[in-house]
Amino acid sequence: MITVENVNKVFRLPHQKKTTLRQRFVGIFQRQTYEMFFALQDINLHVERGEFVGIIGRNGSGKSTLLKLIANVLTPTSGQISVLGNVAPFLELGVGFQGELTVKDNIFLYGALLGMNRRQLADKYDWIVEFSGLERFVDAKLKNLSSGMQVRLGFSITVSVESPILLVDEVLAVGDIDFQRKCQDFFDSYRKNGRTILFVSHDLNAVERFCDRVVLLESGTMVSDGETAVVIAEYQKRSGPAKRNRKQYP
Amino acid sequence: MSPSTRTCEQDISFGRKNYIFLTLVMAITDFKIKYDNSVLGYLWSLLKPLLMFGTLYLVFSVFVRWQVEHYRLYLLLGIILWNFFSEVTLNSMVMLEGKGPILKKISFPRWIIVLSSSLTSLLTLLLNLIVFFIFYILSAVHPKWTIFLLLLYLVELYLLSLGLALCLSALYPKFRDVHHIWGVFMQLGFWITPIIYPVSIVPMKFHKIIFLNPMARIIQGCRDSVIGNSTQFLTLNSHIIIIGAICILFFFGLSLFNRLSPYFAEDL
Repeated sequence: MITVENVNKVFRLPHQKKTTLRQRFVGIFQRQTYEMFFALQDINLHVERGEFVGIIGRNGSGKSTLLKLIANVLTPTSGQISVLGNVAPFLELGVGFQGELTVKDNIFLYGALLGMNRRQLADKYDWIVEFSGLERFVDAKLKNLSSGMQVRLGFSITVSVESPILLVDEVLAVGDIDFQRKCQDFFDSYRKNGRTILFVSHDLNAVERFCDRVVLLESGTMVSDGETAVVIAEYQKRSGPAKRNRKQYP
Repeated sequence: MSPSTRTCEQDISFGRKNYIFLTLVMAITDFKIKYDNSVLGYLWSLLKPLLMFGTLYLVFSVFVRWQVEHYRLYLLLGIILWNFFSEVTLNSMVMLEGKGPILKKISFPRWIIVLSSSLTSLLTLLLNLIVFFIFYILSAVHPKWTIFLLLLYLVELYLLSLGLALCLSALYPKFRDVHHIWGVFMQLGFWITPIIYPVSIVPMKFHKIIFLNPMARIIQGCRDSVIGNSTQFLTLNSHIIIIGAICILFFFGLSLFNRLSPYFAEDL
């Protein structure tokens, strides 16, 4: 269960205009000026256990920021966030992978980063290796693997984490058809198991297929929150006619 | 705007145990990466202090002569301990920067990075101490019971370094200058602390100031306990000063860290 109440997030972006050496030295004694960027304004969101909620919106509308706030990577400027249950953040596949290490070491490192302990990892290890199809390469350095293999490994470790809440940021965008199908199979099984999922994506087909409910963000504010088909239609209406040259989503 | 709060209830299976595991995995990973791509591998962690020792020994034992009993051991121990101290404090900041991409994507207590980087250095310290004790046995020093006090001093050294690392790394993401400033301080500290020279060459009136530095007390304490040049530093007084310094550093380190670490993902 996730509750987000009156959350604001403001980024202070410092102005970087000191180009010459003299300006730099003088600049030490001047106050740094900032651009206040309101990434999220007054967001209220309540997600029940077992819900599959999509978050859509244009680039820069605050989707990822919201996910990062819920994942506790960022701290809200004001407001309350409460999360009941463990969160597995799938914000990026294989973040923290070390090319210099073997596949085996990377499984342990990444698994530990995602919150697994030694026993859980030992239980899952064989499954991860088999599922990623890297049995022959467990002792090879990760940097010598193809990027496709690395993504597969990242995905396999990620899905082996058994946490009730998943935060997914555009994972489906990478990988070939087989990989995307695998992802979709997993989402289907997650739905059945009653896990709570927050899903950020530009792929409206995927959103339509999986989500019970969709939230639409526009420049940091929540524009609508409701049934999938209705919110997607509103999103298309909002971004559609204004700019005709813009590439349309299917 | 009201201040932000965050509540998070987690399962028991997701508790402290996993943090300890994560810390250990990170420490081992960093140790592996550090020496992996070099031909001599782990040997580098031993060779570095030995090369430094060789140079300084040449200068201060052959060119300049100091009347210190077992000067070789005296110097080697000093260098090893100081290297550990400077490595822990400086590496904590470097590691934090290196782990930036992970910090931006995954939530875990940020002190794990500082702790794991200090453990990596601890591993190097232990390897170096093995080399030291090989020299020690070859030198035919008669150890006294005080040698067991070394363990106490090493614990103090570790905690002192960790406390300072917490302070520095908490400040680092917001104030990058800290790394440069501390680098200069380490240079200064190397010469202000009696590492290569005997305390006896320092005029008496400066002793009070020099031994305000807990590192000087730890290094001298280690020497007294192992080599047994004197028993001047094996006093309770010395431990009180060192432990006092540790407490102060941990107090500041933890409070700074608690306040600043939620913003690491933005500042790095």
